[in-house]
Amino acid sequence: MTIDSKQLWENTLIDVELNISKANFTTWFKNTHIVKEEDGIIYLGVPSQFVKDWISKKYHKFILKTLRGFAGEIRGLEYVIVKEQDVKKKASTNSTRSQNTLRNVNELPLENFYINKNDNLNPRYTFESFVVGAFNELAHAAAQAVVKKPGIAYNPLFLYGPTGLGKTHLAQAVGNYLKKLNSDKKVYYITSERFTVEYLNAVQDMRANSFKEKYRSYDVLIMDDIQFFAKKEKTQEELFHLFNALYDDNKQIVFTSDQHPNFISDLENRLKSRFAAGMIVDIPTPDYDSRVAILKAKAAHNNFQLSDEIIEYLATTVQGNIRDLEGVLNILICQSQLKGVVLKLDEVENLIKNSAKPKKTASVKEVVQKVSEFYDVDEANIYEKTRRKEIVRPRQLIMYILREDFNVSYPSIGQKLGGRDHTTVIHSCEKIKRELKNDPTLEQEINQIRTILK
Amino acid sequence: MKLTCSKEVFLENISIAEKTTGKNLTLPVLGCLLLDANEDGVLKIRATNIDLGIELSIPATIHEPGRVVVPGNILQSVISSMYDSKDITLSLSGENLSVSSPKSKTIIKSFPTDDFPTLPEIEKEDITFTFNSKDFLRGVQSVWFSASTTTIKPELATVYIYVFDKKMYFVATDSFRLGEKTLSISKNIDMEPILIPIKNIIEIIKVFDFLNDTDIEVHLNENQIVFTTKGVYVTSRLIDGNFPDYKQILPKEFTSEVIVLKQDLINVLKKINIFSDKSNQVQFLVEPSKKKVVLKSQNKDVGETVETLDAALSGDDLQISFNHKYITDCLQSINSDSISLSFTGLSRPVVMKGVSDTSFLYLVMPMNK
Repeated sequence: MTIDSKQLWENTLIDVELNISKANFTTWFKNTHIVKEEDGIIYLGVPSQFVKDWISKKYHKFILKTLRGFAGEIRGLEYVIVKEQDVKKKASTNSTRSQNTLRNVNELPLENFYINKNDNLNPRYTFESFVVGAFNELAHAAAQAVVKKPGIAYNPLFLYGPTGLGKTHLAQAVGNYLKKLNSDKKVYYITSERFTVEYLNAVQDMRANSFKEKYRSYDVLIMDDIQFFAKKEKTQEELFHLFNALYDDNKQIVFTSDQHPNFISDLENRLKSRFAAGMIVDIPTPDYDSRVAILKAKAAHNNFQLSDEIIEYLATTVQGNIRDLEGVLNILICQSQLKGVVLKLDEVENLIKNSAKPKKTASVKEVVQKVSEFYDVDEANIYEKTRRKEIVRPRQLIMYILREDFNVSYPSIGQKLGGRDHTTVIHSCEKIKRELKNDPTLEQEINQIRTILK
Repeated sequence: MKLTCSKEVFLENISIAEKTTGKNLTLPVLGCLLLDANEDGVLKIRATNIDLGIELSIPATIHEPGRVVVPGNILQSVISSMYDSKDITLSLSGENLSVSSPKSKTIIKSFPTDDFPTLPEIEKEDITFTFNSKDFLRGVQSVWFSASTTTIKPELATVYIYVFDKKMYFVATDSFRLGEKTLSISKNIDMEPILIPIKNIIEIIKVFDFLNDTDIEVHLNENQIVFTTKGVYVTSRLIDGNFPDYKQILPKEFTSEVIVLKQDLINVLKKINIFSDKSNQVQFLVEPSKKKVVLKSQNKDVGETVETLDAALSGDDLQISFNHKYITDCLQSINSDSISLSFTGLSRPVVMKGVSDTSFLYLVMPMNK
């Protein structure tokens, strides 16, 4: 509400108060305010339907006349029912007594579970609380572009990446931002699993039409974890039609998934091609600098002091996703609160020992088996001296992965893969590294293999 | 206005309506009832506190249509102290209401009818469905006592109703305990979850009680719910808030479980009540290792009592304290001879259920020592 409309309403109320009885005034005009002014129409917020009906029946003309007296350009007056905030404050004073007697009973932890039922958005997920680093810069920029021109800039916006890197956060931030910008925008967040259940129920109860209508009425639709649509053909078909309907009306759609759409198995091609029409952004795991930035932001958010030394140490040791970082930070906060002291590096090292994930270990054999399975080649061929192209490539990939992900030494890789010289191994690794720079499909393949190996 | 109607029916209806009138409100007209006699031979009695509104219709012989607004409590007291006739006659004496029987004539000062608020009406786009009044009663009566009595969090001073997968759920919690009642419905109703203020629920229960077993038409929009059936129209404001996603706090694993006869528990709790102190504390000693459950309460001014319950037990030993009022509250909602209490550990809630009745579930948080 602007100062102007606030002033306007106060002036109007003074006039109203002079013309009706005190009792009537307090009963009907308490908790009213101007919500907004649009095209010369004043939208008046009232606390309930009763008040709305009564004011519009008894005082409509009078209010309109008074409003016009102050601002001639006003053409109309509409009423909207808004939540009263004042009731809460008033009531809290006279109910302290009953609360006292209950104080020694533990409370159910309901606080953490408030989610807006109209749009399913969690208000905590905003752009302000989103830490931007080198790794998610692109995704953040794409989301920013989307909120500037919803439905036009990138539609759909497709965010993918491993778990715990902020896909849901970013997707919901888009929704929360657009909702804040314009409260009329109908934003809806749903997980693909929930969508499927709702759809099936609707079909069972012969309510498919109302289901369709419901989803077609949204201005912004955010669908989380759509990899779960795999194999659900009917639901995919419904999503396809829904997508077309929303897309044609320039309604913004945001999807998230743990994989690139092309790699979601059993996803229909027509859906894949539609996803590709918008913007597909990857959120990879954070690099060192981003981990430092995230730790600093989270610590500041919790009002927790961390020396640079400790942050550096944590950023190096905890290399997983953001959720892991948060977990470790929570342990530190809890410990330092318990002890009431600022933690020193060696204490931190001790604490982290248990929670830092051990470096991945996998046997060479396992890697060979998984990779040859992935490329559908015979495992035995990898160890042989053959130089057939379809074998050489997986073999090089295996070497690269063993070196990069599992820190196996060059000589021992060579020895285990059929007694090859360590220079062969070095050459292979360098070759893959070079190719990675120019070949995004290779990168995706490697990422896929990495997920299989986890 | 001039009409004649049965005294008994009239009294019964104004007593119901009178409860809805506004008390301690700045606007005196809200403490009134509107009597509206129209040509159709129906007398309408309307009351509202601008949160809840009610309109009851009773048959009457209308000689002359008209309307009048009089204070509800005065009208009720007058009618309830008239004994000389089965029928009464209501008419206007100038602006005021005249109530007459063969042996008496009373004049009650009236208020301007124009000042009496209208009730929100059913709108075309409202969601509409029918529901049996007894079912609805069963749903709300099973849980309403768990709702918060303060309005610090308006969304908890409500009964939360939603439909999912051919079931209607009624839930209430004050964050110390939580009740959930589930009713099967024949087909899904396409409605958003709603929050009905607990104050209004209590009045709605009284109206439904008075109705007996009938089908009720429910109309619903974002702000308002309307219940209508023959001769009755009740409308309540809905709370615009979010009920916590309580499903997440329902425990899935339990450390110990106790099954007792409901009647045994009721008897023991009655005695516990005598000796509990201001905090209503009752201590549970759950001892599967010794195959017994002991309840204790003590008050330094009165004395103390120790009660052993016959029970089937499993799991770990546990000592835990509750507010016994919270435990007692839920017993009326459990339609089963035996009750299971499933504990989830110290400082964690206990789940109470009927052994053969899965439609009601109750969660109570323990007390700190």
